[in-house]
Amino acid sequence: MKLLLTIAWRNILRHKGKSLVIGAILFTGAFLMTLGNGVVSGMARGIEKNVINGFMGDIVVISAKQKSDNVLLNMMGTSIEPVTDYKLIKPALAASPLVERWLPAGKNMAMLLDENSDAPGFAYLLGVDFAEYRKMFPGNFEVIEGSYPAPGERALLIPSFARDEFYNYYNIWYLPEGGRLVKANLKKEALERLDTLVLSSSVVMMGMSGGMNTTSDIRFPVRGIVRYGALNQIFGHFCLVDIESYRECLGYFTAADMSAQVTKEEKALLSLEGGGLDSLFGGDELEAAAPAAPRRLTERSRAADPADGVYNAVFIKLKPGVPYKKAVKELNAALKAAGADARAVTWNKAAGPMGSMTLIIRSALFIFVLLLFSVAVIIIVNTLTMAAMERASEIGMMRAVGAQKPFIGGMFLGETAILSAVFGGAGILAGVLAVELIPLLKISTTNDMLQLLYGGDIFRPMLDLYGVALAVFQLGVVTVLAALYPMKVAAGITPLEAIARD
Amino acid sequence: MNIIEIKNLKKDYPLGKTIVPALRGVDLEVAEGEFMSIIGPSGSGKTTLLNVIGCIDQATAGSVKIAGSEITALDDRAVTDIRLHKIGFIFQTFNLIPVLDVLENIEFPLLLMKRPAAEARKRAEKLAAEVGLSEYVRHRPAELSGGQRQRVAIARALVTGPDIVLADEPTANLDSVTGASILELMREMNEVEKTTFVFSTHDAAVLKYARRIVRIKDGLIEKEPVAA
Repeated sequence: MKLLLTIAWRNILRHKGKSLVIGAILFTGAFLMTLGNGVVSGMARGIEKNVINGFMGDIVVISAKQKSDNVLLNMMGTSIEPVTDYKLIKPALAASPLVERWLPAGKNMAMLLDENSDAPGFAYLLGVDFAEYRKMFPGNFEVIEGSYPAPGERALLIPSFARDEFYNYYNIWYLPEGGRLVKANLKKEALERLDTLVLSSSVVMMGMSGGMNTTSDIRFPVRGIVRYGALNQIFGHFCLVDIESYRECLGYFTAADMSAQVTKEEKALLSLEGGGLDSLFGGDELEAAAPAAPRRLTERSRAADPADGVYNAVFIKLKPGVPYKKAVKELNAALKAAGADARAVTWNKAAGPMGSMTLIIRSALFIFVLLLFSVAVIIIVNTLTMAAMERASEIGMMRAVGAQKPFIGGMFLGETAILSAVFGGAGILAGVLAVELIPLLKISTTNDMLQLLYGGDIFRPMLDLYGVALAVFQLGVVTVLAALYPMKVAAGITPLEAIARD
Repeated sequence: MNIIEIKNLKKDYPLGKTIVPALRGVDLEVAEGEFMSIIGPSGSGKTTLLNVIGCIDQATAGSVKIAGSEITALDDRAVTDIRLHKIGFIFQTFNLIPVLDVLENIEFPLLLMKRPAAEARKRAEKLAAEVGLSEYVRHRPAELSGGQRQRVAIARALVTGPDIVLADEPTANLDSVTGASILELMREMNEVEKTTFVFSTHDAAVLKYARRIVRIKDGLIEKEPVAA
């Protein structure tokens, strides 16, 4: 081995030009690969951080009847199955040593109704207990107009992104109740038509729940306009509404409904079957009802436990370091034991395409690295093969005096390995240094799509041991791949070459 | 005892659709310890004969035994092993490893044999002294004259204590004085190390050093003997 490495090292020094060319390729490749790993890890971590800490937690419990795990950004019109037995889920989560905090929520789509517009607009509704939501996702958005709803208040929070979208549909600029127009927050188009700008402090929405025709159109008072700290273009689609109003909008049982006492007469009405039901629809006249405004909480509903009503999902934050696989397995077992008709899925499955973003970004980098190294491998293979052929006489002589083929192959592998270790190692170190230095430059963006790529508002690539190990592994693969063909060519040189070139 | 036994050795080279016979049925026996020269004009087949004896090239037909072992049916690994352990080579153009110095070049075959480094170095130093290169042991081939390089090649050929040393026109690239000194050295090593030397030449001046001369012409051995 010592002899082999000695010859390899001295050959590198002897052919400085070629060695520098190969070294430069290896350095550049290793540098870009390490930096790329850092950028992708930063992006992936940023997305994870923003989604987990700011929007949906680590694990989401959904109805067992829910066909797709994707409950966040599903296709329009696809409703999320209701979770009707949160009462069973809650104690199971409370008993789990893996769970740090959770938030039950309603999530579905609603149609925006406006008498002056032909085409309806759409919005995602997230029905929550506002106080619990703040505890679950503290600081994920700022209220830029109006205020955060008081506990138990029926209200709607519209993200600035959604407000811009609504303006595009209806030319209506939504303001919080009692709020004033903030010109700095106006869309450019709205600012240009300030004189004719229509302002409104309430939104009429009708829940869209597949398979149900019992949804109501509800007028929601706008309590505030919010802006998410990151990924506003994605999270900004979701209007936050109190859970009881959400349930009413979607035609779900509210907590108040669940706690209501059913009278004998009502029970008799509910038990009507067949022809008896027709008597309920005897009249031909239809009376148009005005959209119901969300009721202020009555004493009865105030007394009701919100947990009694229907949800669509339960967002769960796990304790630090709990592996997802273990958490999903144990939570599903706990849900089953509790008799809940629900299942737990990881956030990236529940987030649908956004959850796949990290995988997509990693795949993109993988392809980039693959292309980069394919080029590198081709150049190195070419250079080393030329070197092998130029040294045919010397290699032939080594074979003639008794060197076996593996020795000759090993000599070339040794040369490539030394070059990889020196130049590739330097490239990896430079990449690590760059990853450490880039955050100091504080490259920031307010662009939402760039924020998605940055994983936040500041470009912050990061490298962990895994990332460095991955770079070393990739470099090793390149080394072996680059050396294979030249090794074969060199080992194929016969002792006759020593004579033939005499 | 014969160290080399060749019977009806044939070697053909395909040249497009034509087959060119280089050796057309060579019979030859070389006794242990001989200092023999194969002579003949260019293209007579002497290099081909040395290559087949040295396991560098394969015979088309016939039998070649080295130290009693038939070599014509062996695979690459086995013939490489024979080259390492039983045969030493001296090439026309010296063929040293340019990145190794004199001592490293000499000990190279021993290290291939996985001999201990210290033992290899001691043996290499002894042979470097015997070929008169003690002062140049740290020189690389590029820093040596042609004659000095060929001395290194001789030392390297002898370092493993082979049964045979094969030298293909060892003096062709040297001036006459240096060539003579190399032949003197080879003959001296033949006597000291008791190693069989077979070398080819087409230089008549070289013949006086050989104890046995074999003439080859058109791929066939001419009638022996030609006493030196």
